[in-house]
Amino acid sequence: MHELPDAGCYAAPARTQQTLAIRFTGSGSEYFRIWIVNLLLTLLTLSLYLPFAKVRRLRYFYANTRIGDQALCFHGRPWPMFRGYLLLLTLAGAYGLAGHFSPLAGLIAYLLLCAIWPALWRAGMQFRMGNTRWRGLRLRFDGDLIGAYQAVAPIYLPGILVMVGAFISGPDHASEDLGVGGTVLFAGMGLMVLLAPYFMASIKRYQHGGYGYADQRATLDVGVGRFYMLVLKGLLVSLLPMVVAGALAAGVVALVQPSKQLMPVAIGFGVLLGYLLYFMMIGPYFAARLQNLVWNGTRSERLQFTSQLKFRSLLILTVCNWLLTALTLSLYRPFAAIKTARLRLEAINLVVGGDVETWQAQLSAEANDASGDAAGDFFGLDMGL
Amino acid sequence: MNTEPKTSTWLSEPRLRARLFDGRSARAQAVWAWLDQTQLHILACDTEGEPLSTQTRMQRQHALREVVWPERLRHGERQALLPDGAVLCEDLTPGARQQWDAWAQASGLHDSLTVRFMRSWRLVALSVHLSAGLLGVAWHWGIPWTAERGAALIPAAAEQQIAEQALDYMDRQWLKPSTLSAARQEEITRRLAAAVRRDEILRAGLEPQAAPLPAYRLHFRAGPKALGPNAFALPGGDIVLTDALVELAEGEPDIITGVLTHELGHVRHRHGMRLALQASMVAGLSGLLIGDFSALLAGLPAWLAQADYSREFEREADLHARQMLQAAGISPRVMVRFFERLEAHQKRQGQDKSPLPMAFASHPAHAERIAFFNAAP
Repeated sequence: MHELPDAGCYAAPARTQQTLAIRFTGSGSEYFRIWIVNLLLTLLTLSLYLPFAKVRRLRYFYANTRIGDQALCFHGRPWPMFRGYLLLLTLAGAYGLAGHFSPLAGLIAYLLLCAIWPALWRAGMQFRMGNTRWRGLRLRFDGDLIGAYQAVAPIYLPGILVMVGAFISGPDHASEDLGVGGTVLFAGMGLMVLLAPYFMASIKRYQHGGYGYADQRATLDVGVGRFYMLVLKGLLVSLLPMVVAGALAAGVVALVQPSKQLMPVAIGFGVLLGYLLYFMMIGPYFAARLQNLVWNGTRSERLQFTSQLKFRSLLILTVCNWLLTALTLSLYRPFAAIKTARLRLEAINLVVGGDVETWQAQLSAEANDASGDAAGDFFGLDMGL
Repeated sequence: MNTEPKTSTWLSEPRLRARLFDGRSARAQAVWAWLDQTQLHILACDTEGEPLSTQTRMQRQHALREVVWPERLRHGERQALLPDGAVLCEDLTPGARQQWDAWAQASGLHDSLTVRFMRSWRLVALSVHLSAGLLGVAWHWGIPWTAERGAALIPAAAEQQIAEQALDYMDRQWLKPSTLSAARQEEITRRLAAAVRRDEILRAGLEPQAAPLPAYRLHFRAGPKALGPNAFALPGGDIVLTDALVELAEGEPDIITGVLTHELGHVRHRHGMRLALQASMVAGLSGLLIGDFSALLAGLPAWLAQADYSREFEREADLHARQMLQAAGISPRVMVRFFERLEAHQKRQGQDKSPLPMAFASHPAHAERIAFFNAAP
């Protein structure tokens, strides 16, 4: 390209890159009103209002999420979501009751739930993405059903090993030696732990690789190794609060020299403090680093994301949110939700190659739209937040 | 749609400059929008606002009831969802949101009742109070009532099967067979059966409709030291009694009967199953409040509620014990002596009072229970 810079802009717009910042314009005090009215109606209707409340909440959050100069738009209709909610409620109720009637029925219900969960998960993402529009074009989730089962395989297969092992070893196994069942059981558990980062990677690959917009289809270009690194670093970070709590408890003990009777109390508070600190650290750490990892690696031919969410900012915000939510008996929760959404969303930028205004909806997607994705649309299966 | 519009309806007032995304192209089309009695009209225009009247294809109408209007809140882009997937958006100029709201009001579009609720601070404050009240009602009456009805629906056989498995598990993990002689076990069982029989006779006379006491089974076990003198009821009527408690009651066998009548209270009122159902309902409720925000924070009210419900059940079981002891001609004050011996035992073991505040404890304070049994007429 040897043209003059300004000539280049007009002559070849398709080669320009445009960075669109994401801005979140929601307000805590306003979302508080939405939240409390939704809560009241949900309580009054014994939770049947929940899907309607969810539509209102999503429309508010989406209309306040601006990518470039244009906000997202949530198109989900409440009545299909109501049917989906009833379906999920029935499933959850049957699952909960089965365990109360007999342990065997509980086991069968659990296995059935595991068997259909990937399909439900995929239907939920299809519904959510298919009902999200930006600049009038709908987002898509194109992941196929087989892919959903492949994505959960790294946790399902060891899970099956654990169950088989537990079944073989039976209720009256000798406590001393492991036997075949015990070996299989522990092998399954070990695999589960070892494969956990791999499971995280395969879930995120399926999710982000299924996202589509206009003629674009995203992929997640992040090696499995980086997920292992993330988990290892996370474990190191999680050691920190335990050390801090231990040091604090030891310091208090050394200073106050409590009597023998108060000793268990001091230890109890130390453990409790460590536990709280642990969850306060580990949650924001994984949320921030995972968001950066997967969104920086998500791209399609002409779309790319960058995410620079700072662990420290999210940690401080989370600690404040926890304290205030607990102190206000949960009345602060809507403010916390808005602040967290702002921090997490505004850390992301969208880089578009070429002029997005010239983009067109994929023809096949609109054809699907007309016929309606039968089950997904009839039952508006919207899980997640 | 796409019919040739009557000239008189073109650009009638009040009208709004907005942008239309047709769902096929990512390019926004500048449009004029206006309403008549039944329809929303949209007409494409250029950036100056001049209608592109030659292209009748750029004109569209939608029945008003098929359009999903935005809720009138302070923030958020105004978006009207059209039935074919197109979106009518506010203009990009400053103040476009206010223009949209003014236009909607002038065109006779009304806020829904919910939006009017949300827009008034007074009604929002009312919602806070009503929600808090409803949560309180659910906590005190709704959840216990539902759990009671729910527990009644669960067949006793299922409860027993669960209890059997639980007992089986405990036997393998930390319970040992009892070292009491068969005669001693026989005597305890006989004393309890006698108390139950006399209580049944009295109850049948007082309240003939009352449900009979479900079948119970008494299990003798030696527990680990941490379990101490203890007895507990599993759902379905299995009661476990530790050797340490029999030792504690040395010389006063009525104490054992007293403790067991307390456990029978749990069995009669199906407290185990009810507590499990109540716990799941409280978990659902606190999940509704803050679950999507922090599962750990949501667990705290669930724990408090669990402890509160549990103390309530202990009081009910104490009442049952007092009634049954009186029916059997045993003074309820044997329970006072039980608590005294228990406290002495705990002191000997070097166990101090639980460091947890009362709100977290699963049983009422000893002093309260002693006063309750002392107050027996």
